[in-house]
Amino acid sequence: MQQNNNPALILLAALIPLALLAALVSGPVSIDLPAALAGGWHSEAGDAVILWQLRLPRALLAILVGGALGMGGAAMQGMLRNPLAEPALLGVSSGAALAAILLLYYGVAWQSGWLLPVLAIGGAFGAVACVWLLAGRGASASRLVLAGVAINAFLSALMALALNYAPSMFAMQEIVFWLLGSLANRGWDQLLLALPFILFGAVLLFCARNYLRALSLGEASAASLGFRGRRYPLLVLGGIAAAVGAAVAVAGTIGFVGLVVPHLVRPLVRQDPARLLWASALAGALLLLLADILVVNFVGAQELRIGAVTAFIGAPFFFWLIVSVRRGQAL
Amino acid sequence: MKKILLLTLLLLSIKATAYNHIASLNLCTDQLLLNWVAPEKIASVTWLSASDQYRKAPLPEHIHLNRGRAEELLRLDPDLVLVGQYGAQRAARRLRELGFNVVDIPDAYSLEQLSQQLQALENVLGENPPLEKQKALLEKMLAQPQRPAAASALILSANNITYGSGMLEHQLLELAGFENLAAADGTEQLRRVSLEEVIAAQPDLLVLYGGEKDFAIAHLAERHPVLRHYFDRDRVFTLPSELSFCPALVAADVLQQLKEKRKSLAAKQ
Repeated sequence: MQQNNNPALILLAALIPLALLAALVSGPVSIDLPAALAGGWHSEAGDAVILWQLRLPRALLAILVGGALGMGGAAMQGMLRNPLAEPALLGVSSGAALAAILLLYYGVAWQSGWLLPVLAIGGAFGAVACVWLLAGRGASASRLVLAGVAINAFLSALMALALNYAPSMFAMQEIVFWLLGSLANRGWDQLLLALPFILFGAVLLFCARNYLRALSLGEASAASLGFRGRRYPLLVLGGIAAAVGAAVAVAGTIGFVGLVVPHLVRPLVRQDPARLLWASALAGALLLLLADILVVNFVGAQELRIGAVTAFIGAPFFFWLIVSVRRGQAL
Repeated sequence: MKKILLLTLLLLSIKATAYNHIASLNLCTDQLLLNWVAPEKIASVTWLSASDQYRKAPLPEHIHLNRGRAEELLRLDPDLVLVGQYGAQRAARRLRELGFNVVDIPDAYSLEQLSQQLQALENVLGENPPLEKQKALLEKMLAQPQRPAAASALILSANNITYGSGMLEHQLLELAGFENLAAADGTEQLRRVSLEEVIAAQPDLLVLYGGEKDFAIAHLAERHPVLRHYFDRDRVFTLPSELSFCPALVAADVLQQLKEKRKSLAAKQ
């Protein structure tokens, strides 16, 4: 049965290069792709610059951020054994967003392009640390959720306060746009900044894969299998903070990917929480890349924010979730 | 010498302005008053004029900062209240009903409207040398024959917005001898322009719009490495932020600077 699902995963993986190709040929300017590819990285020709310096880093960033969000969502749902869990539940996204907002709010002079993302990643780790401390030693999944909801609510209140007292309409717009997420005007700088954190997060989650498998039998069973102590939950939380924090740091908050994607691919991995991590990363990457292709092809006076697109995908998913529950299907 | 001249102009304006207790409910008229009228004649300006972002003239301590509400101005008893075309209309209506001398100063989105704005201001303030000087400069600009475009330019403002043919910024570019590529593309007002389009259009001059000093997501495009060669080759011009909220103060200077920029570009070519 498991083998029967592999073609679906292979297809998912194969769709990413195809979507990448679609992303490279999509955009407001029509380019000669073979000539731009032949022109190479260092070419100063317009088509080559558009391909190598604008479209390629943006598409790769969409893959990276989507992958991080999908993986983070799968890890959260696995650890908390809650189908409605997503990275935002533990305040990871809010922590990163609040740090970024405070920077936007105070309009700190631009010293370096790294300041905002570095602060945002710090904010994500700070939020997770607060949740961990609040939940206390040996906290159960439900206590972690409760602590996460409390911290997330507090961070959301601080964000609302920042919006309320935004020093100008411009600052308010900055904050709102940040909360809607965007991949526009991002380049290799942002990609290279996020990459090590997301890879580090993926490695931590990889190390915690068997813990997630054991947790699916219940916390007591996981403890009896040797997964006791603080090490394993910390691995998962650290992995989520690194991966999702870095994703939010470079792209703003992009909702619903972490929530929706694990549900979509769970049947493909036969509910295996460890394999779900990688399947969700693949599906998250594909979903965000497709959403970004929609964004770059959208014609309008203002940029369509990618967070708005994922929200449009996410909301109908909830309708489907409710209908599924009414039919008596397991989530 | 310049200071003495400015002081003389200011003294002359003090003599000429008939009103002694002027209030403003508009950011642009705030700035015009603070720059062109003696401080002791200004009773109140909007709170926005106290922010670093908008303050372009010293703000005397005695001036009351209003938030566009009628009751704030009642106790100040101004003999003249200046309002803009759109903001604080409810307060303006209430003040009129109460018998205050409320005068509308039209907003300006083109050189012609700028001229009308200064005329409206002159009508109410009376003789005011700095105002007249600015008005004369604008009339001279309007009378200039359209010169053929010698170089191309594209405006890249906050949130990737560019300016088309119906905008004041376009007029200034054209008068300075630049072809505004957004207008050539059929844009009449504002439209979104992606970095891809900037690269494909290859303007001779990239025109940015204020705000570059502080961090802002809206100005992320300007910091993208693909535009670095514009900075390296000094092919960038930054419009002052005053041009967006009170062009009367800077339009003539901007035109002069754009002309000099075109000459320097021509010399390099």
